[in-house]
Amino acid sequence: MATELMPGRKRLTTGSVVADLAVIGWFVFSLFPIVWMVLLSLKTSAEQTSTYFTFSPTLENFGTVLSDRGTALTSVDFTSALLTSVVNCGGAVLVSLVIGIPAAYAAGRWRYRGSNDLMFTILSFRFAPELMVIVPLFVIYNQVGLFDTKVGLIWVLQLVTMPLVVWILRSYFEDLPADLEQAALLDGYTRRRAFVMVALPLVRPGIAAAALLAFIFAWNNYVFPLILTGSDNSTVTVAISKYLGGGGQAYYNLTAAAAIIGALPPLALALTIQRYLVRGLSFGAVKS
Amino acid sequence: MATLTTTSLSKSFGKTRAIDDISLDIGDGEFFVILGPSGAGKTTTLKSVAGLVDVDRGSVRIAGRSMDGVEPYQRNVAMAFESYALYPQRTVSQNLASPLRSGRSGRYSEAEQKQRIELVTTTLGIDHLLRRFPRELSNGQRQRVALGRVLVRPADVYLLDEPLSHLDAKLRAAMRSELKQLGAMSSTTSLYVTHDYQEALALGDRIAVLREGRLVQVGTPLEVWHEPVDTFVAKALGQPEINLVDAEVDGGVLRAAGGALEVPVPRDSGLAAGDRARIGIRPRDVELGRGAEPATDHLRVRGEVRLHERLGREIELTVDIGGVQLVAVAPGAEQVTEGDAVDLDVPLGKTHVFAAGAPGEDTARIGAPTVPGRNR
Repeated sequence: MATELMPGRKRLTTGSVVADLAVIGWFVFSLFPIVWMVLLSLKTSAEQTSTYFTFSPTLENFGTVLSDRGTALTSVDFTSALLTSVVNCGGAVLVSLVIGIPAAYAAGRWRYRGSNDLMFTILSFRFAPELMVIVPLFVIYNQVGLFDTKVGLIWVLQLVTMPLVVWILRSYFEDLPADLEQAALLDGYTRRRAFVMVALPLVRPGIAAAALLAFIFAWNNYVFPLILTGSDNSTVTVAISKYLGGGGQAYYNLTAAAAIIGALPPLALALTIQRYLVRGLSFGAVKS
Repeated sequence: MATLTTTSLSKSFGKTRAIDDISLDIGDGEFFVILGPSGAGKTTTLKSVAGLVDVDRGSVRIAGRSMDGVEPYQRNVAMAFESYALYPQRTVSQNLASPLRSGRSGRYSEAEQKQRIELVTTTLGIDHLLRRFPRELSNGQRQRVALGRVLVRPADVYLLDEPLSHLDAKLRAAMRSELKQLGAMSSTTSLYVTHDYQEALALGDRIAVLREGRLVQVGTPLEVWHEPVDTFVAKALGQPEINLVDAEVDGGVLRAAGGALEVPVPRDSGLAAGDRARIGIRPRDVELGRGAEPATDHLRVRGEVRLHERLGREIELTVDIGGVQLVAVAPGAEQVTEGDAVDLDVPLGKTHVFAAGAPGEDTARIGAPTVPGRNR
C-alpha cells in the first residue's frame, strides 16, 4: 500500500525493464538516420564518402547551401526554393482552411443527401498515388499556363491538404454538442454568427492540429513540385534532391545540410502552435 | 407574453417516431408542463416549438403568428437546455449577457444589461459566480445559470427542459416553490418539461402526459391525478406506484383477491357480470384500519404484511390479501412488522377502474369520474 501512495517511484519488474529497453531500441532506430544526417552535414566534401573515420566538423555546408544562388557549385537556388515552399504550403493550408472549415462543419453537423458520398469523394483524393494523376495534370497545367507557377502548385496541393483538414475537423465538429449553437440561435444570433461565435472558438485546437498536419504533408510533397514546376518555382524537396547529382556530382554533405534547414520551418510551426496542438490531439479522444 | 398553439406536430428520426400528432393549446401566461418518461419526445416537442427541429408535419403558432419558415432567432423564445448549453469559453456574466447583446430581444445599454443580470442572478442565488467559467461550477450552479439566461430577457415563450433535474433534492424543492413566484416566470407563457410528477403537479397550471411521442392526457393537475385516462397516467403519477388489481364483475360489484376486495362497478361502465377489469388503488389512499368498524365509504380488508420499508417519516407496506399484493403507506409511528396481520381501509370513493389487460399492458379508464362534486 505504502509504495502505491508514492507517485514517481515505480517498482522495477521484468516487464517494465523489457518495455523500457524496447522503447530505447525504437528510439535509437528512429533517431539514427537523423544523427547520421547531422554528422554528414558537418563533414567536408573530402570526408563525405571516406570509409575510415575522420571528422573535423565544419558549418561550411550550411553557408554554401544558403548563399549558393545556383552559380558557385551547383545549379540549385536553395533560399528561393525555401521561400517558394513557404508561400506554396502556407497558401495551400490557408485555402484548405477557408474552404475546409465550413465544409467540415456542414458534414459534421448535418446529414443531407449525399453527405457521406461527398466526404468519401474528398477522402478519395488521397487514394490514388500521385504518380497516377501526374501525367494528365502535367498536360493540363502546360495547356492552361499553370506550369511552374505558385498558384498552380497551391491548387494541386489541395489534393493533399484538403482531405486532411476536412476529415480531422469533421470529427471535432461532430463532438461539439449541437445544443451550444442552438442556444446561440435562441439568444438571437443568426446561424453564421452562432458558428463564428460559439463553434469556431471551440474547435481551435482542431484547426491548429489540422493546419499543422496539412502544412507538413504539403511541405514534404515531392512528386507534384518535381513534375509541375521548373526552375522558377522549385520547392525545398526538389531543391534538396538536386544536390544528389543535378549538377553532375553528388554532394551528400550539402544534401544533408539542406535537408536539415528544410526541416526547420515545419518544426518552428509545430513549436509555435504546440500549446494548441497537445490539447487538440486528445480533444476528440475522450468524451468530456 | 403570448399564446402558443401547436397543431399535429410530428417528427421522426430515421425509423424512430419521436413525436406524433402533438396538438397543444396554451394560453397567455400559462405555465404548461409536459410530463413523461425519458424518450417520450418531450425535448423534441420543445425544440419543435423553438424551431430547432424541423418537424415532418404540423405547425406552431406563437401569439397567433404562424412560425412556418421563421428562424429560431426570430421566434422570440428562450430555452433552458437540459445539457445547460453554456458557452464554455465565456464567464457566467458573459453567458447571461449573450441574449441581451444579440439585439433581438430588445436593446440594452451596458448599465441595463448589468442591472438585469444582477437582478436575475440574485434571485437564483448565483450572483457570487459572475466571473467564473462554466467548468468551474457545480451541475446545480450550471443549471441555474442556464435558467438565468432564459429569465434575463423578455420573451414570448419560455421553454424549460428539465431545469431542476440536476439540483440536489433540497435545492430542487426550494427552487420548485420559488420558480413560479419569479416575476418573469409568472407572467410569461412557459412550456416546462419534466419526468418528475411532483414537479408537474406542483408547478403546472395544466399538465400534458406524453408517452412514446403521443399525448396521453392533457388536464389540470387535479384532473390528471383524480381521473387518469389510463393505467399509464395512473402509474406515472404517485410514488409508490398505484396498485392495479385484476377483478371480475360479480353480483354488481368488482370482486378481486378471492372475494376479499369488493369495489362498486362505476356508473356507465358497460361492464356486465363476468367481465374482467382492473381496480386501481393509490397506496397513499389506503389507511391502516382502526377500531372495530371501517370509516364511512371504506372497505376493510385483512391481510398479512409481506414487506416493510421505512421511508423517512413513513412506512411502505406490501400486504398480501388473498394472494394479491397491495402496497400501502402508513405513518412512521405505526408498530407493524413483516408477518403481522393488519386491517386495511380502502376508500371506495377513490378507487379507479380500468379495462382488463395483460400484465404490463396499459389499458383505458372505465366509467365516470370517481371524484364526487367535479363539474367535468
